[in-house]
Amino acid sequence: MKKGMKINTYVLMLLPALILFAAFNTIPLFTGAYYSLTNYRGYGSYDFVGLRNYIDLFQDSRVGGSYLFTFKYAITGTILVNVLSLILALGLNSRIRFKSLLRGIYFIPNILSGLVVGFIFGFFFTYILPAIGSALEIGFLSSSMLASEKTAWIGVLIVGVWQAVAMNTIIYISGLQTIPTDIYEASAIDGAGKWETFRSLTLPLMVPFVSINLILSTKNMLMVFDQIVALTKGGPAQSTESISYLIYNNGMSGGQFGFQSANAVVFFVVIVAISVTQMVITGKKEEQL
Amino acid sequence: MRKRRLAGAIVTAVFVLLATGCGSSAGSDGKTVVTLFHYKLEASDTFRKIQERFNETHDDIELKIESPNEAITVLKTRLVREDYPDIVGIGGDIDYSNFLDADLFMDISDFEGTAWIKPEYMEIEEQLELLPEDGTYALPYMANCAGILYNRDMFEENGWEIPGTWSEFLELCDGIRAAGITPIYLGLKDTWTCMSPWNSLAVSFASADVCSRVSAGETTFAVEYAETAEKIKALLDLCEPNPYAYSYNDACIAFARGEAAMYPIGSYAAPQILSVNPDMNIGSFTFPAHEDEADNVLTSGVDLQFSVMKECKNKEAAYEVLRFLYEDELVQMYADEQNAIPCKEGEFTLPTILDGMKEYLESGRVGDFHDHHYPSEMSVSGMIQTYLMDDSENAAETFLNRFDTEWIRYNRDLIARLKEYEEGTK
Repeated sequence: MKKGMKINTYVLMLLPALILFAAFNTIPLFTGAYYSLTNYRGYGSYDFVGLRNYIDLFQDSRVGGSYLFTFKYAITGTILVNVLSLILALGLNSRIRFKSLLRGIYFIPNILSGLVVGFIFGFFFTYILPAIGSALEIGFLSSSMLASEKTAWIGVLIVGVWQAVAMNTIIYISGLQTIPTDIYEASAIDGAGKWETFRSLTLPLMVPFVSINLILSTKNMLMVFDQIVALTKGGPAQSTESISYLIYNNGMSGGQFGFQSANAVVFFVVIVAISVTQMVITGKKEEQL
Repeated sequence: MRKRRLAGAIVTAVFVLLATGCGSSAGSDGKTVVTLFHYKLEASDTFRKIQERFNETHDDIELKIESPNEAITVLKTRLVREDYPDIVGIGGDIDYSNFLDADLFMDISDFEGTAWIKPEYMEIEEQLELLPEDGTYALPYMANCAGILYNRDMFEENGWEIPGTWSEFLELCDGIRAAGITPIYLGLKDTWTCMSPWNSLAVSFASADVCSRVSAGETTFAVEYAETAEKIKALLDLCEPNPYAYSYNDACIAFARGEAAMYPIGSYAAPQILSVNPDMNIGSFTFPAHEDEADNVLTSGVDLQFSVMKECKNKEAAYEVLRFLYEDELVQMYADEQNAIPCKEGEFTLPTILDGMKEYLESGRVGDFHDHHYPSEMSVSGMIQTYLMDDSENAAETFLNRFDTEWIRYNRDLIARLKEYEEGTK
């Protein structure tokens, strides 16, 4: 009797989270997969169309364009975010003045809403930067970078990276603090330089953190949405339409609920595949003291 | 056992939490509640007045008006949840066509108000039906029109005349440029703003039923839109540098501050422009697309129309609300406050801003906005923006071919059903 009650308590503790997760995550996932086989518009009647949505998906130039943009954005974004936040973390973990204050300041971008940041940067890119550019006679800056299909994605990238660096920096700082100081002393006695210490000691011991950061930032970058809404709305010339934006926009207001559900299912599979691959690769490189 | 019950209680609590949010339509004090959901956020003050007046004069019905931001998206998500308002006030466009096709609206042909509406707007309603339907499902309330807005004071100071033909228009733009002013402001960052000049040109060069004719396989857009595509590109030489950098808001502000002499947009932009510069003297004229003034057509469509949802439980109460909305006094109040054109027959004073378009409106030389017939997921505005940014020599050809192929793809189901329908009626 006593044993049974104990299990009950654990089940009870799990239950609310489980129900909420199922209600807001698992069930929508399955309904989405179901609708991906229909020509549902989001309301009214619909017919089953089999795998037609999936076949169309691979022939749709807009979906193709959104995948290209999203991956271009996610790959450059992930590299930039991780390099920058590692540098910042090293700086913020060293012996400097106002360390706690600076850590707080560098975390602020993460607190702000993506939309708000997007609108502020949008104003900056449209009016302030071109004004500075033409005052200093720098050709490529004198017109808004969001207005050209070649450079608009860079504008979105700048905002995305600026915001994402904060969280990754915090994770890297916590990673740096797990490394005991005595091994640094040992390496100093062995006569290793700063770069040698970083390359052979800090980095290998940080691999678990690099791997979690890579997965987090890749996933966040692949799901880019707020910045697009605030900065470009997918333009100019549909050059910055991310997958999430396309799914939301055409699925919700565009009446392609079924088709975009298929897109979402494929996107889900892609993200899972990427995350698993990343974990496998970085998992092999982990070092233990 | 007690633990079991606790578990049950927690589960129930969670489900109750999940289930709330589905409202009920019965009023607390026994009144019949009628909810009117409309998409004219900019007219929410006018609607608030209407709501107050209605509730003051009616004891048995309570009118609730809702106008959220991004109303159409909100409405669609509500429809997914099967949470239906009683009356919806939306535009006469593709969204309406889809809602109607999804069988969401009630046939209101037994409402006496259908006889109050001008026939040309009832005709527009019929063209919006994807497949021909029996009955009446929407009551046009207000129309809008699009063409070119101009800065009246600036034109008077410089002695510029309103152009009636395309060459006169180009000449005028040369003159304005010579005076050191940007002739027109486009603001093409929000892709939908590309649609305004596009509609004005398309309505002049292609007939209103072009979309259904293409769906029926009788013609192609490559033929019908060739001249429209050519002329819209010509506008790029007349506008502000790098129009893709500026949004609709930016363009309204720039036009209000006198940075440009003309702005090819609809009458609906007037309140926004006046909010920046309340003293501005805005005029309007029909887009001079043709070489002969007599060929020009004004773009005018239904901007606001009311439909009663099929799920509406109290039809008589909904009709009472409609009767109230169509009282001459309220129609005039709405038209005055929103610079709109009443669809009701009768002697209404038109907003002064539309003086230049009055002649076209009164003689019925109008055609519906073409984009009211484009499926929104096809994103024609994005395609037009892409075309405008494309500098290559065969840009027009690429664009028009894409238009044709995508049209067939996005309308595949509809085309198949149209064919079935045609065969059924034969």
